[in-house]
Amino acid sequence: MSKFHLGWFTNFSNPPWNHQWAGTEGRDWPSGDAHVEFTRALERACFDYIMLEDSSMVSDIFEGSSRVDLKYGLYSPKHDPLMLAPKLAAATSKIGIIATASTSFYPPWLLARRFASLDHIAHGRIGWNAVTSSEDRAAQNHGLDGLPPHDERYDRADEFVDLVKNLWDSWEPDAHVLDRENRVYVDHEKVHVLDHRGKYHASRGPLNLMRPPQGHPVICQAGGSPRGRAFAAKNADTLLTAGGEPADMKAYRDDVRARMAEAGRNPDGCKIMYITTPVMADTEDEAQAKAARLRASSAAKLETSLAHISAVTEIDFAALDLDTEFSELSTNGHTTTLANFTKLGSTPREAAIAWANANFRYVGTPDSVAEQMGEVMAEVGGDGFLITGNIGRRFVGEITEGLVPALQRRELVRSEYRHDTFRENLLEF
Amino acid sequence: MSFVTGWFASYLVPDWSGPWAGDSGTSWADGSFVIDSVRDLEKAGVDLLMLEDISYLADIVGGTFEAELRVNARAPKGDPLPLIGRLAAQTSTIGLIATASSTFYPADLLARTFSTLQGLSGGRAGWNVVTSTGDRAAQNFGMDVLPDHATRYAHAAEVLAETHAAWGEDRPVICQAGASAGGIALAGRYADVVVASPDGVDAMRSYRDSIRAAAVDAGRDPDDVHVLYMVTPLIGETEELAAEYAQRWYAPTDAALWRRIVQLSGDIDYSAFDMDAPLPDDVETQGSRSILANLRRVAGDRPMREVLTTQRAQSVRLIGTAKSVADQMEQVVAEVGGDGFLIAGGGGGVLTRRYVHEITDGLMPELRRRGLAGLGSGSDLRSRLQSHREVGVPA
Repeated sequence: MSKFHLGWFTNFSNPPWNHQWAGTEGRDWPSGDAHVEFTRALERACFDYIMLEDSSMVSDIFEGSSRVDLKYGLYSPKHDPLMLAPKLAAATSKIGIIATASTSFYPPWLLARRFASLDHIAHGRIGWNAVTSSEDRAAQNHGLDGLPPHDERYDRADEFVDLVKNLWDSWEPDAHVLDRENRVYVDHEKVHVLDHRGKYHASRGPLNLMRPPQGHPVICQAGGSPRGRAFAAKNADTLLTAGGEPADMKAYRDDVRARMAEAGRNPDGCKIMYITTPVMADTEDEAQAKAARLRASSAAKLETSLAHISAVTEIDFAALDLDTEFSELSTNGHTTTLANFTKLGSTPREAAIAWANANFRYVGTPDSVAEQMGEVMAEVGGDGFLITGNIGRRFVGEITEGLVPALQRRELVRSEYRHDTFRENLLEF
Repeated sequence: MSFVTGWFASYLVPDWSGPWAGDSGTSWADGSFVIDSVRDLEKAGVDLLMLEDISYLADIVGGTFEAELRVNARAPKGDPLPLIGRLAAQTSTIGLIATASSTFYPADLLARTFSTLQGLSGGRAGWNVVTSTGDRAAQNFGMDVLPDHATRYAHAAEVLAETHAAWGEDRPVICQAGASAGGIALAGRYADVVVASPDGVDAMRSYRDSIRAAAVDAGRDPDDVHVLYMVTPLIGETEELAAEYAQRWYAPTDAALWRRIVQLSGDIDYSAFDMDAPLPDDVETQGSRSILANLRRVAGDRPMREVLTTQRAQSVRLIGTAKSVADQMEQVVAEVGGDGFLIAGGGGGVLTRRYVHEITDGLMPELRRRGLAGLGSGSDLRSRLQSHREVGVPA
């Protein structure tokens, strides 16, 4: 098996602030300095990318109030990742930086130009996590009554992504001629009007900026539903999904790869990354004890877990009896997330605790966790892990100074960046 | 009291082919040119940077992109907002104002983006609110034509009300540049900084009076609004050298003519007019009305060539040694009443690092020595602007 990839899943939000290793980041994080330090650590460990998820709402679904959302800092506060990305780019030189922006709320021309500008600023290291957004609350912040139905959001997103790519392509690669003799900076015959008038979007184009250094910034996606997978198969260069049983991971990957082949793409052109939070300590016993502590049920865990699932599904789980078996639930939001959630337990309480613990799968010393991850990747076939968890120095250090060197010693992950652009590094193996 | 100094910047290709262009033809795209300039400006005590923007690549002149991409007065140009994100990381005291369109950008997105920039910059962010011009810009955003002037300003007022409701106390500085009645009313209500180029001291004074009156009408202290006048100081080692510099700078060449034609042609193809005749009477626009009105007023019966090659968007011509230009600036501010200058070094296709250094290493030290400018202080941009009202001029 070839090497596998590493990414980190986070956002521009408050790092966990009320535990014993939190430092002062609960107050200082809006400066972005903590994220800079963190991203530099990831680059030192040769991560392919840092991925900044996003949402644009204060959630008040759970209990019909924003109490739990704000008490724990779940969905809010959360700052604009597109403005953090250039700061991270300025402080690094190799790592890819993925920022999230919604196809339901951004004007396509603005988004295409913003990511083109970011890619120039970052010398070809920018990625776009294309989300369709999943909450009516977010839509209402943008002046809409609610979101379009799930599958229609993807139809709109398909057209949106095509339009954005066409805007990036509106300047041919060799348009920028810098002809001093004739004093021609850009050859105007290589810059084209699109005049796109589609079912959902319209934009004349072209952009007023050169083609991005990568041509197209890396496109990231997270769809798990059949419609989401079809969208990913067509558009995604990297795809993130919940980790779980290796057989499920493999089935998901095989399905996406088959869809890609069907769509005429090389399946190796999309790197599928499984979300996980390794639990590590100096000895196996300590790691198991730590995992037991992390998995323990608590009122806060129950409350945050239920508020999370409420926010993304817009179902108020506070209104359900926590110890009564699930009835049929449906959502226009994260359909796959809801399906996975209800599989984790027969009652809301069971499922909520299990869901909160779902990422604690690999437990041990750095060496044994490296071995476990290598075994799972060998079974699944690829393509890598997306680490998530507290971006405080202590946990980040466990990954970058403990786990990654152990993975590198096994030649399971990269030990150096061979290329300058994100896309080239991502597609290297 | 001292005056505010600002820098009019663009995320745009500077001079890339002249004798002092360096590597600017390629290095501007990642923001390097602006970043280097701003670090020098910050060290020199300049209070703020204002990054202008437009939302289209124009093909009005002759119906193609040719003139726009040859002259480089407005293109190619990147999105100023991510560049501000990077500048915030690489500076520590200078104010960072970016242009964003209230007509095309969703209000919720604007509110969140600018409050993020406030956090990243430690309270140094500002939003230059523009309602945009040009049907071409509207077409990039899925509209057929630009909404009319009144509609755009009514919408801008709504967007400002909405963003202010979202922000609370720690809100970014608001900058505004409209000179129409709608623009002045909006500035009076919301602006901390107003950018303008009324021609000459009398027009500057009466413009400032109208902004201050609009602020009073909106229930604000007029001293909370800082009017910055566009200027391009040309500094030489001697008066003679400065005069020669100015002669070259303002020479009525074909290049100057085309540059002006491209800059003006938002909806109207100015290249279609007879350059040896006056501006026709029946020209109208839904775009930048004040620009057209100003042009008509300045032009009179003179031929277009003469008007376009000599007219610049600036309030007074400042030419001389650092000392004599400082004298002129001091006198202008005394006559007008305040509040400062926004220095523009020629913009796209023209600006050089050499010009930046004439300001940072020539003019600014002279202004600082006299206590006239460059000594602003404060933990955020708004208090820094205000600090100029408190600094005493040394005897």
